Amino acid sequence: MKKSLFLLFLLVSLLFIVVACSDQESAGETGKGSSDEEVNAEENANESADKEITIAIDQNFVTLDPHNAGDTVSIYGIRSMYEGLVGFDEEMNVVPVLAEDYQVSDDALEYTFQLKEGVTFHDGEPFNAEAVKANFKRIIDDDSLRAHRNVQYIDTVEVLGDYEIKFTLNQPFSAMLNKFAMIPLASPKALDDESKDLGLNPVGTGPFKFEEWNQGDSLVVSKYEGYYENDKTNVEQVTFKPVPENGARAAMLQTGEADFVYPVPQQNAGDFEDVEGVEVTETPSTIARYVSINTFNEPFNDVKVRQAMNYAVDKNAYLQVVKNGFGNPLDSTMSSQTQYYSQQDTYDFDLEKAKELMAEAGYKDGFEAEIWGNTSSETVTGMEFIKQQLSQIGIDVKIQSMEEGTLSDEIYTPATPEEAKVQMWYVSWSPSSGDADGATRSLFSSEYLPPEGANTAYYDNSEVTDWINEANETSDAAEQEEIYKNIQSTVYEEAPWIFLASDVILSGSKTNLEGVYVLPDGSVSIANAKLK
Amino acid sequence: MMSKLQIETSTMEIPKVKSENRFLNFWRQFRKKKPALFSLYFVFLLLLTMVIGPHIVPYDPAEPNYNRLLEFPTLDHLFGTDEYGRDILSRIIVGARITLSVSVSAVLLGTVVGTVLGLVSGFFGKWVDKAIMRICDVLFAFPDLILAIGIVAILGPGVRNVIIAVAFFNIPSFARIVRGATLEVKEMLFVESARSVGASTTRIVWKHIFPETIPVIIVYFTMNVGTAILSAASLSFLGLGADPSSSDWGAMLSMSRDYIGSSFHLVFFPGLVIFLTVLAFNLLGDGLRDVLDPKTND
Amino acid sequence: MWQYIIKRILGLIPLLLVISFVIFMFIHLIPGDPARLMAGKDATLEEVEEVRQSLGLHEPFVKQYISYMGNLLQGDLGYSIKSGAPVVDLILDRVMPTLGLTFLSIIWALVIGILIGVLSAVFRDKWPDRLGMLTAVSGISLPNFWLGLVLIQLFSVQLGLFPTGGDDAGWKSYILPSFALGAGIMAMIARFTRSSLVNTLKQEFIRTGRAKGLSGTSIVFGHALKNSLIPVVTVAGLQFGFLLGGSVVVETVFSFPGLGRLLIDSIQFRDYPVIQAEILFFSLQFILVNLLVDILYSYLNPKIRYD
Repeated sequence: MKKSLFLLFLLVSLLFIVVACSDQESAGETGKGSSDEEVNAEENANESADKEITIAIDQNFVTLDPHNAGDTVSIYGIRSMYEGLVGFDEEMNVVPVLAEDYQVSDDALEYTFQLKEGVTFHDGEPFNAEAVKANFKRIIDDDSLRAHRNVQYIDTVEVLGDYEIKFTLNQPFSAMLNKFAMIPLASPKALDDESKDLGLNPVGTGPFKFEEWNQGDSLVVSKYEGYYENDKTNVEQVTFKPVPENGARAAMLQTGEADFVYPVPQQNAGDFEDVEGVEVTETPSTIARYVSINTFNEPFNDVKVRQAMNYAVDKNAYLQVVKNGFGNPLDSTMSSQTQYYSQQDTYDFDLEKAKELMAEAGYKDGFEAEIWGNTSSETVTGMEFIKQQLSQIGIDVKIQSMEEGTLSDEIYTPATPEEAKVQMWYVSWSPSSGDADGATRSLFSSEYLPPEGANTAYYDNSEVTDWINEANETSDAAEQEEIYKNIQSTVYEEAPWIFLASDVILSGSKTNLEGVYVLPDGSVSIANAKLK
Repeated sequence: MMSKLQIETSTMEIPKVKSENRFLNFWRQFRKKKPALFSLYFVFLLLLTMVIGPHIVPYDPAEPNYNRLLEFPTLDHLFGTDEYGRDILSRIIVGARITLSVSVSAVLLGTVVGTVLGLVSGFFGKWVDKAIMRICDVLFAFPDLILAIGIVAILGPGVRNVIIAVAFFNIPSFARIVRGATLEVKEMLFVESARSVGASTTRIVWKHIFPETIPVIIVYFTMNVGTAILSAASLSFLGLGADPSSSDWGAMLSMSRDYIGSSFHLVFFPGLVIFLTVLAFNLLGDGLRDVLDPKTND
Repeated sequence: MWQYIIKRILGLIPLLLVISFVIFMFIHLIPGDPARLMAGKDATLEEVEEVRQSLGLHEPFVKQYISYMGNLLQGDLGYSIKSGAPVVDLILDRVMPTLGLTFLSIIWALVIGILIGVLSAVFRDKWPDRLGMLTAVSGISLPNFWLGLVLIQLFSVQLGLFPTGGDDAGWKSYILPSFALGAGIMAMIARFTRSSLVNTLKQEFIRTGRAKGLSGTSIVFGHALKNSLIPVVTVAGLQFGFLLGGSVVVETVFSFPGLGRLLIDSIQFRDYPVIQAEILFFSLQFILVNLLVDILYSYLNPKIRYD
């Protein structure tokens, strides 16, 4: 009996040794084996037969209520099933979608849309002006909805005909068209149905219709056969799968479990160079990455100190270290992909100049400061980098990484600038509709200091605040462009931020999949998905 | 369940008479446990590293070198360099101090509080015992990592709060173990006699009962240090760790995990030292238990 | 026996009430404002307040607790702040994957753990014992997220044997996470089986059995093991909480749609009703498992008294 037991034991320990040994192999191995490519090819063949694709993404969907989504992931999840009067093309230009055409009056107060005919919602309801009105009624009436902010200037909604509708504003609003693009339209029947929560039972007009949403897990949508442009996609079913762990998400592209992966972690981008059948795409984004500096308190109220901090940070090294070489230095207050962007002279890495400015400001020996950020590994890496760089001019930075909820409490709760404890905040901003107003107003207007808004630099320049309001009130695009140019150069000069980078978005796709792409705002579009 | 210690007659004699002999006796037995002995040496080595670590590092562990990012292990950099071009070996050496001080202080805190609760509970019995044990039940009812997540979430991040969080889930187990041991000792002859002589309660607990529970405490203390290192690392992984930018091993491990596919050494070496350290504490604890705790003594 | 069980279950009710209040307080103590998180970075104060009103979070704390408990007693766990979905549905969706994962972990941990333990006890102080114990101790010494990441690299990326995560590939998706989760428990079970079996083998009735000429196998499996399993069962049961905690980490590594990940997501979003319900559920589960362990314990050892 001892013998048989002994054999069993040998088996078990052998198993462990095998695991341990192959472990070391993977430690030494850098290239990818060819055998898994074969597996991939096989899976590819299977999948194109049934025309189903899986998209691995980094976060969970928060909600599918078309009028109450605020985070990018929920927004594009919703956009896979819904459409608005207008929408964004691949470069984030506003283009008609459910509208055939539209006119804006000269005083920028009246927006008239002619609607597409022959469009039906997924539940068979016809799409017409009444349906549009029902949607806007919901948004205007319920002020706890996220989309309510998009319609704050809409005064009246008027149905002009079955397929024509007019919106009248109470003041001009430069970004109104972008805001229309942020309002997906739901079936009026679904809006009225009290028994079913719209957020859990989406009904839109998009090329894909809702199939299933396992909260926090996958969202499944399938092709809507009644779509008005039926050859737009040949994919039968799309599964969005949130995979928060970076390594695991990248691995899914290698193993063939996912057909499209976004974002591909920068650290892994190189892994795919030699992998056949997989392609990594870089998209310039609207995401601006920066450190906001609380300009209200000493020593940061001195513009020289802030400029010195900008000169002390080597942006190219930043891109290498934190972004693995992907991205561009942030050369304005917004990314180059944003409306009315105007390029500025960057603060090129110059330690001498930085030290000089510090001396002029009276901080020759530097000072101590704190930087805040969330707990994601990229943020922490970034903060660590800033700490290293600022130590060169004698600023001794202490890193405080806080969980997102706690952080937002610390930042937005202080009722007055005097109470605010934030000094530096490592963060990013992306205007969800890609408009200049969204990239400027709540960040730099003195009317938007926390807790009122996101001006966490406590940047207070009455000229800039006036400009922001002026830009809104004019309907003249050239004039708007001029104003935003002034805003950008003034703010950049006064350096309420350490301007770091504008992100480049990395997405990975199997080469047999076309038409799935990431927009500059970081949203994934599947409307044109085609499998070869 | 915890009070099933089988008391052997040898432990019945009044302790501390010949403490030197007792120690020698212990050492003679312990020496025979080879894995535990090696682990003891390893732990000593770690303690030494904690003290002199910063003086023996080959590179400045905080000094970035943007020209040598993510280099594979070479003779220059035995463990390679990290995403800032810092020497991983140096960081691991320096990290011993923070890693071990966090886990040791956490377990120490848990042990002190747990031991006091256990002594009080076991000695006084009645409602005191019931109340304390109820509290321990409630603490036990929370999965420990979740308790720690909650505590860090409430108190905020930082070394001190991680220590408190990890200490928390050491409390109930120590309280129970010490209570069990106390109940055993309480009935023993020398306590009875001390009581009959009229010694004060504190004195009895402190002079007679507490020393008897020390072996058990030492055993569990050692083993729990290992677990505490892992718990602290898990908190780091979930983004609730002590200081993600420090050279704490758990922080190094969780910060570098995105590189697992491309630069395996970043993840491998911190993982390895954590593994070896926890292993050493566990094996040491095993050895100590074999010798000190009569229950499982062969 | 039945009286004892009923008594124990009734005893749980006050404990659960206390726990529910503690959790409620606990959760509201966590800094962070769900209304602010819900409204987003670019929200104005007014917009945040509107969201707060619509969520009922402007009410005083005690009032919120009373109305929560009132609903709870009617079996209503409320709605998720984040998605508006009924909390019951959210939890029910996740229960099966997590339970499956946990039980699979326990089962293989028991099988391998007992096996190693028995071998070590039988070959006590010889090299199989040393190796077995070293393997076992290694199991508790590995950070489970590290183990998980390495397993993914090895078995999914390099060898392509198992999926990297999720639960859509049937039994295959459970293999790696349950391994990462169970390694620690396996080690403890192995150690306890060993020490317990060593003790039993020394006892009188075993020696008698040997003297009567019973074979080694029937002594170990027929008599000694059953007696030695008592502490093993206890340990396995007590580890349940450990597993639930570990599941938070392992489910994150493997993108596994279970309760652990739901908890982390809800905490991040300060989704009070979901956190509350989940922790209550965890506690209840843990307490019930302990009760079950006690009952099993008495079955294995009829000499235990119920008091």
